[in-house]
Amino acid sequence: MMITDYLPIFIFLVVAVGFALVTIFLSSIIGKRKITPQKMIPYECGMDPIGQARKPFSVKFYIIAMLFIIFDIEAVFLYPWAVIFKELKIFGLVEMAIFIAILLVGFVYVWKKGALEWE
Amino acid sequence: MNLVIPEINWSAIGPELTLSITAMVLLLLSVVASPTARRAIPYLSLLGIAFALLLCISLWGKSAYAFNRMVVLDNYALFFKIIFLITTALTVLMSIRYLKEQGYEHGEYYVLILFAAVGMMFMASAADLIIVFLGLETFSLAIYVLAGFFRAQPKSIESSLKYFLLGAFSTGFLLYGIALIYGATGTTNLKGIYEFVSKAPALTDPLLLIGMGLLIVGFGFKVASVPFHMWTPDVYEGAPTSITAFMSVGPKAAGFAAFLRVFLYALSPLQTDWIWILWVLAVLTMTLGNVVAIAQKNIKRMLAYSSIAHAGYILVAMVAADELGTASVLYYMLAYAFMNLGAFGVIILFGRKGEENVNISDYSGMAAKYPLLAAVMAIFMFSLAGIPPTAGFVGKFYIFSAAVKAGYIGLAIIGVLNSALSVYFYLRITVMMYMRSPEKEFAKLEPSPAMVIALIIAVFGTLQIGITPSHYLNLAKQSILALM
Amino acid sequence: MLAFVLIAIVKVLVVFTAMLLIVAYMTLMERKVLGHMQVRFGPNRTGPFGLLQPIADGIKLFFKEDIIVPHANRLIYILAPSVMVITALVSFAVIPFGDSVTILGHKVDMVVADVNVGLLYLMAISSLGVYGLVMGGWASNNKYSLLGAIRSSAQMISYELSLGLSIIGVLMITGSLSTVKIVGAQSQVWFVVYQPLGFLIFLISAVAECSRTPFDLTECENELVAGYQTEYSSMKFALYYLAEYAHILVISSLAVTLFFGGWQGPFLPPLVWFLIKVFIFIFFFIWIRATFPRFRYDQLMKFGWKVLFPLSLLNIMITGIVMSVIG
Repeated sequence: MMITDYLPIFIFLVVAVGFALVTIFLSSIIGKRKITPQKMIPYECGMDPIGQARKPFSVKFYIIAMLFIIFDIEAVFLYPWAVIFKELKIFGLVEMAIFIAILLVGFVYVWKKGALEWE
Repeated sequence: MNLVIPEINWSAIGPELTLSITAMVLLLLSVVASPTARRAIPYLSLLGIAFALLLCISLWGKSAYAFNRMVVLDNYALFFKIIFLITTALTVLMSIRYLKEQGYEHGEYYVLILFAAVGMMFMASAADLIIVFLGLETFSLAIYVLAGFFRAQPKSIESSLKYFLLGAFSTGFLLYGIALIYGATGTTNLKGIYEFVSKAPALTDPLLLIGMGLLIVGFGFKVASVPFHMWTPDVYEGAPTSITAFMSVGPKAAGFAAFLRVFLYALSPLQTDWIWILWVLAVLTMTLGNVVAIAQKNIKRMLAYSSIAHAGYILVAMVAADELGTASVLYYMLAYAFMNLGAFGVIILFGRKGEENVNISDYSGMAAKYPLLAAVMAIFMFSLAGIPPTAGFVGKFYIFSAAVKAGYIGLAIIGVLNSALSVYFYLRITVMMYMRSPEKEFAKLEPSPAMVIALIIAVFGTLQIGITPSHYLNLAKQSILALM
Repeated sequence: MLAFVLIAIVKVLVVFTAMLLIVAYMTLMERKVLGHMQVRFGPNRTGPFGLLQPIADGIKLFFKEDIIVPHANRLIYILAPSVMVITALVSFAVIPFGDSVTILGHKVDMVVADVNVGLLYLMAISSLGVYGLVMGGWASNNKYSLLGAIRSSAQMISYELSLGLSIIGVLMITGSLSTVKIVGAQSQVWFVVYQPLGFLIFLISAVAECSRTPFDLTECENELVAGYQTEYSSMKFALYYLAEYAHILVISSLAVTLFFGGWQGPFLPPLVWFLIKVFIFIFFFIWIRATFPRFRYDQLMKFGWKVLFPLSLLNIMITGIVMSVIG
């Protein structure tokens, strides 16, 4: 029963993938093609592009990504906890408060260190 | 739905909890408090360590399983926890002035050291391979960062990166070993593995044997045994000296704590299969460590190879695997903590920013200018070489007699020969200090009170354990009952 | 079993077509509403009231030149818009849009799939959309695209956090991840009453997740031309747009399901109630677009991390304490 629950989702997925592929395929054969050298350079508002776009970018984004992973794991951990919260009662609340408090220590540290500041 | 809440026994992980809470509070302090208040961080971390130490002593003799048999409280774990706490405390004491001199006075340093200690303690009290892995990762991650703590120094960064890459690689081996053992036995619980293995006829499942081999690789890396030692000299040389001191004792002890518990307890029915591997490892480790140490010009590299050699001696005791052998591992680890940390303490004190004084030739003529410091260094060198009446001598004596008693006479002979070899390069330092004239002017030394305390503790420990060894051996023997 | 599969196929096709239609007419609705809010008429030439406009747009886009720039990473460049549109459409599968009815002796639930981890499924699938965005921005090998992609992925993962945390209060009250059960639990009182703070956080994060004004940093025209889709043309460009509007539809449906009683309502049939509520939300999305200026990027990140994230944790704790006290 469990697996058959997901059968409609699978069908949905097949339909959606089919739709996307057919659309891209159709547009590539229907649309006309007229290639000119100007069309084929990266679009930079009419300026001639200098260099490639494969450049290193601000390390801030990596920090955000790492923070996201840490706190998203917290969120994922909260989901099953929330579902059985009524059975865990006050015990569950205290345990989760401790868990969140530990993560909040890290959050405060990150905050005070300025990892969330964007100049 | 029927929900079973596992029993929670806070006291079983009391020391770990104490240190974790201290570390978290200090982490907050390091960003929230005013710059003057931040100076209290090392002292507060000492307070937390002292509290954890008291807790360990008050828990002595109790034994309990906690958290669904994930964690065990017994004397064996407590003995190692005390070693870790002493190591951490001495490291903190030695670091205070050193960090200030080098201009890296950040609270995070102490926080990371405390978290590393927590990881090591979990490794000692692990009753499940999962906890072994968690503990290992916890302290490894902290030490990867600490090794690169002097982030403006390329050598420090190099050391950190090397340790991280190789460490992550070896952790993969360990984890794979755990997975294979889980596949073979259906459990990661040490007791469950023991019961499974003792019931099963020997040498049936290749999965189990491969898993065991991978565990040896993983642990072998952390304790720096040949052929998994390649990282040691570079990492030890580049890391901040205080961290080198910490690294040479803490992870090694933690590695052996888990190594012993897994192999001498959970996998003990397979002893005939793994003992010859360890025999070979022990011989290789001792010999390579000692021979290569002779050729070193940098004292940190020399001590790195010496720490490899000491891992070899401890492996000899593990091969003996009887009561005396196991107890001597614990005894030796305790002695090693004092003497090795002490030696690094002298190196820290003797160097300063811009003038590290880490070449062996820098030590020539030191005795004339600083007789007391030279005497302290000589004690540690004697102890590392295994000359009476120091702790190092008694430790080696116990180890080799255990090997003889267990019938590994060849191994004991190789060990003794190695030990004789090691006298050469340890005593070379002493000779340099006392019998050569100085090569250059010595700058004025101003030891901080904390460093003085640390050195006094280290000297006292080295001598005390060496002079009244039976007391400590008895403690060690009490501790290993849980494994037998 | 066969009947189950047939019903599933029919349901999927109907829902899929309906979604495409709604999405197409959302674009018209947006242009019309925006037009009237700015004292214009909006499109009114194609058919009565411009009703054929979306179809004309679609046909036009099919015949546009499909440019694949030579400096792009071809495979990923083509794949990216499909990833985005597939995830946006498929995540609708667990949204219940009506009560179960009996057709020809078969009980048919008005939801494509009632799985027991429905909400988790929805969050997981819809968060995969970020991949389409990053892939597109990187594969285009254009500086505007790359910057836009990095910016918007950082924005989306930041707000995904508070979005994920804001619905935990609802889960605590219902004790289930099944969307059908969550709707069923609201037969008396809508959860927006119990979870006002949670709803507010959800709403703000939802707007940011869809990259709508005032959080449309993804494509702030004056800085980044069109963000990650700068180099896209023809139907690939249309797929990105489709995905964006489908995402709005899914998020609006989710808001209705979690906080406004789903399809439940008096007098009118459930499906009608569901559509009314969803379109109110869609109207709300358009309304704020007409009203607010754009955030600055630092304000955006600061707001997400320093205000919404702590608030959503606070909401969870308050919910927990209140529930423990009441019992």
